[in-house]
Amino acid sequence: MVTRRVAELLLELAARRWPVDVRDDLRREWAAELHVLAESGRRTTMVGFAVSLAVSRAGAPLVDRTLMRGRAGRTAAALLLSPIACVGIVLVSAYTLYPIQRWLMSQTWADRTQKPLWTALTLGMALLLAMFAAHWARHTALDGPLRIALGVALPVAVAAVPFVYVIYPDRPAAAVPGLLLWLLGLTLALWAAASLAARGRLRAAWWVGVVGALVAADLAVILAVVVTVPGGYSGPPLSPDTVDGISAPLWLFVSWTEWNFGLPRPAHWEIITISDRLLVEPMLYLACTPYALAYAIRAARSAPAAPVALVQTRSATGWT
Amino acid sequence: MTIPVAKVLAALLAEPDEQRYGLDLMRLTGLPSGTLYPVLHRLQGAGWLAADWEAIDPVAAGRPARRYYRLTAEGVAQARQALADLRAAIPDGRRPWGGTEPTGAPAW
Repeated sequence: MVTRRVAELLLELAARRWPVDVRDDLRREWAAELHVLAESGRRTTMVGFAVSLAVSRAGAPLVDRTLMRGRAGRTAAALLLSPIACVGIVLVSAYTLYPIQRWLMSQTWADRTQKPLWTALTLGMALLLAMFAAHWARHTALDGPLRIALGVALPVAVAAVPFVYVIYPDRPAAAVPGLLLWLLGLTLALWAAASLAARGRLRAAWWVGVVGALVAADLAVILAVVVTVPGGYSGPPLSPDTVDGISAPLWLFVSWTEWNFGLPRPAHWEIITISDRLLVEPMLYLACTPYALAYAIRAARSAPAAPVALVQTRSATGWT
Repeated sequence: MTIPVAKVLAALLAEPDEQRYGLDLMRLTGLPSGTLYPVLHRLQGAGWLAADWEAIDPVAAGRPARRYYRLTAEGVAQARQALADLRAAIPDGRRPWGGTEPTGAPAW
């Protein structure tokens, strides 16, 4: 009795992996076969029947395995190497600043251009990477918005967490909460954007993706400031090592530009405090976001691998 | 064409007019259920195979109705041709899909 119940559960699991339109027929068909096996006392065969269906490929159209292996390899390469490239973008753009700053040293406004230049260089390279990512995503092996979002976000996490540990050897744990919040928010934004893109709503996908990723990065920066600034968040009156929370939504953009957009908050010393505590995270978010969005949105619209013809054509193979 | 597909086609072609249920085909082909049913689904999608429910009264029979498979007319013709071509493509005459011979198949 227990064996049959286990087999029934396995068959139910197996049925759920098949296309919706055939599930009921398959449940009925397998239940009939299971009944025959149970009545004849062939319990091992009965369980084997159910296990085989539960663990095997469902009845989706078969695709060329060579093609799928190629797709999987290219997808893995794109998803694993791109986050490393994002980290590289942050570092390369930072090092590129030195000769530019040396060249501008004679100018009085040179200091104020440092952060905007770093941001512009990072954004430029990030957009270039995003163009390549969109190209690679056309033939992704990932299927479904959630898998795409996780497939993009998890390798970013794998590259980003060690990066902040290297950057902040004395206080790595303080940087992690903000980073994790950003990764969570980015994953949700990618999931939403990929879901919209899969339904053909491309413009909405980009809007939701960009706004969602910016909100995620903004919240992550706010959390990082609250966690890492020694005086912590406080309302007025302010001491020099605190920041006024009223300007919190601007902190991401402040850390990219070191500019308060002409507003009274954040004040000059607050901008310096924010920049000192957040050395690389805002640039990392900027470097990763275009790639992540471009890949996720393009991958959600990618064509599945073409089903293999039941019989290959003579022209292609020499036999029918 | 994969070997499991060839095995199923060969088993069905052995008696083209005979209807086969899943366990029967598993026994004839030696394929596990997890391999057999996707093949059957694929062949149905291609129009080579038709499936019908057994016409019995489950209460009287004491068991649920089974699903029977048979090759369609197109399936018979295409399967014979495909297996003949597959056989011709294997120089040493080995048939990895089993020794089941289709009867009345001109290509064999």
